[in-house]
Amino acid sequence: MTDATLSPGKAVAAVKRPTGASIGPRWSNALFVAPYMVFYVVLLVYPLFKGIWMSMLESDMFDDTSKFAGLANYYRLFNDKIFIGTVWNTVLFVLMTVPVFVAIGLLLALALNRSDRTSATLRAIFFGTSVLSVTIVTIIWKMMYMPGNGAIASLMRLLGLEPIAFITTASLALPAVAITTIWWIIGLPMMLFLAALQQIPGELYEAAALDNASRWRSFWSITLPSIRRTMLVVVIYEIVAQFQLFGQAQLLTQGGPNNASRPIVLFIYEQGFRSWNLGYAAAASEILFLIMAVAALAQFFASRKRVEE
Amino acid sequence: MRKLTTALLAGLVLTAGAGAALAADKTEISVARFFGACEADYGTVTDVTKANGECGIITALINKFNAESTTTVVKPEIVEWPGYDQLTARIRSGEPPVISVMHEAVISDYSSRGLLEPLDEDFAKAGIDVNDMTDASRQGVTKDGKIYAMPFDTHTWLWHINMNLFKEAGLVDGAGKPILPKSTDELMQQAQQFKDKTGKPYFISTLANETAFYTRTFDTLLYQQNVDFFADPTKVNFSAPEAKNALQLLADIFSKDLTTKNQDYAASVSAFAAGEGGVFICGTWLIDTYDQESKKDGALANGYAVTAFPQLYAGSPRVWADGHSWVLLKQDLSDAQRASAVEFMKFLWDNNYEWARTGHLPVRKSIIESEQFKNLPHRGDIASLAVNGTALPSAVKRQFSIQEIEGEEVGSAMRGDKPVEQALTDAETRINELLANAK
Repeated sequence: MTDATLSPGKAVAAVKRPTGASIGPRWSNALFVAPYMVFYVVLLVYPLFKGIWMSMLESDMFDDTSKFAGLANYYRLFNDKIFIGTVWNTVLFVLMTVPVFVAIGLLLALALNRSDRTSATLRAIFFGTSVLSVTIVTIIWKMMYMPGNGAIASLMRLLGLEPIAFITTASLALPAVAITTIWWIIGLPMMLFLAALQQIPGELYEAAALDNASRWRSFWSITLPSIRRTMLVVVIYEIVAQFQLFGQAQLLTQGGPNNASRPIVLFIYEQGFRSWNLGYAAAASEILFLIMAVAALAQFFASRKRVEE
Repeated sequence: MRKLTTALLAGLVLTAGAGAALAADKTEISVARFFGACEADYGTVTDVTKANGECGIITALINKFNAESTTTVVKPEIVEWPGYDQLTARIRSGEPPVISVMHEAVISDYSSRGLLEPLDEDFAKAGIDVNDMTDASRQGVTKDGKIYAMPFDTHTWLWHINMNLFKEAGLVDGAGKPILPKSTDELMQQAQQFKDKTGKPYFISTLANETAFYTRTFDTLLYQQNVDFFADPTKVNFSAPEAKNALQLLADIFSKDLTTKNQDYAASVSAFAAGEGGVFICGTWLIDTYDQESKKDGALANGYAVTAFPQLYAGSPRVWADGHSWVLLKQDLSDAQRASAVEFMKFLWDNNYEWARTGHLPVRKSIIESEQFKNLPHRGDIASLAVNGTALPSAVKRQFSIQEIEGEEVGSAMRGDKPVEQALTDAETRINELLANAK
């Protein structure tokens, strides 16, 4: 019988067992993860580093003679009032939407966490909007927001109120985009919370009921701790997703009025595809990447600390 | 009976096969265009005289070409206006259309990078007489001494007028012509009079989700004051007091509720047809559409007029202008594809009168001078536009991006989101920053 002693941190050659099986590293196993790794490297790692490199070039969309510019694009970005405005708009948009996704998503999940037919129908309805394309969603909401014949304007007139010009008023344009986005995407956090709620053992609630715990007490002491990890997933996913706001703003407001609803990704798009200034667009992309990474990591560490406590 | 059915079926199969073989023999070329989609109304129309409006006429023209050409099939690819983001992406990914519609203001951005084919020799071979091109259109498609596009029209900015509402407002003279302002003071006075008498705003304007109105109107007001804001094609200058006057005028029109305020393009086009205001400042391309409306029951019934932009400042009658043209994208085209592309351009050249029915100015001197064109409705009222239409100097790069930025800043000031001086400074800074980094 072969005796193999494994010590941590020490590479050990594969040792053959009489049965044909072996312990220790077998590099052929890498083949199982190779397909994923190839796509990961080609579609994520390479573009990431290529993007960083491009951000340091003075590069034009159709010019093959890019020249190294160091940090000039970043310097230009930090002195660009429009870009600074887009950073502020995007952060504001994330602050407007992510807490709402968590609060309303959880409320809907709690309300629809039943097995009756009405709940199933309502779940399908609330999730249904998520399958629509951004084009359809913005057409629907344009028809809602139009101050002339829009649905909201008609309702306001019915109530004797003056219609509000949501998408052409600087202070209302970004909230209008946020409302559209919440209506569109709320189904996903709801479903994630529903899945988490259905994992909580019923015995916990039965024990709480035997102890005469109120519904609020049960929610606070059983439900919330049990779905904390899902909440973390929802928050991080939504932070990452909402920082990438693009289609709704481009189609509803085109970033206006007065740049009040222009997000970072629209700025990147305009610099890249309209001004053909790829280096500058790449630099803005790297800034967005950093902001998203910091925001998501901050949330992750803060939540992990709370879970450990 | 069975024999008859078999014979009929065999005949059908043979005919279909022959048709398919015939179609397969033709060279297919893709043509990217905006102007909208209207297949429901014009999908099978090949008689161009029966089509109206930009969308109807271009759709019928392509249908007619496909029906008549023995060598070429045009496959239209309809894009959202103006479509340059999509075109740029397609060129970058190596899959451009064979032909694309392009504003003359944009040609130099693409031609200077070798993305377009020069067409002088092709036009000479095809019998397109470039000396018949109007000065404006020939200048618009000529870059560095070469012709890079087939001009299709010259379009400008003008006033569409609802005469029925003008009558109600007391703004029609004894000859039945609209009484138009001759100064900014008269404009404000007449607009207020119109609003008091009709209860409607004097202007209908496209102020939402589009910057074209702001840029084109502002540029026209600058031209009227003889401001040469692109004296240096690498830098814009909006510091002249005349620029402030022009922008303040737009801000006053907005703040005094003399215009509709929140309409996008589609809403404003419909609003004018529905009689929601007296004047719609827009382009030549709507003349035919509104002329057709005036022949029906409705707010414009027997009450539509069109006029060149009134002279509000003592200066020049120049007005913003641009032109649509057709470019051949550089790529590996076969001889047959190139020949088909030029055949299609020649067809459009030969049918330029039909396109001019939209309201656009034709690009051929022979058509402009023809009785047939002069007899089209309202053309006498806008004859001056052929001379006064003014484009930005062709040496100015990134003209569409410049127009976007200018429009955003003019819009911010007009809507009161930003002080006039601040908007002009910001427009100047942003455009100059763009130009400083444009290759």
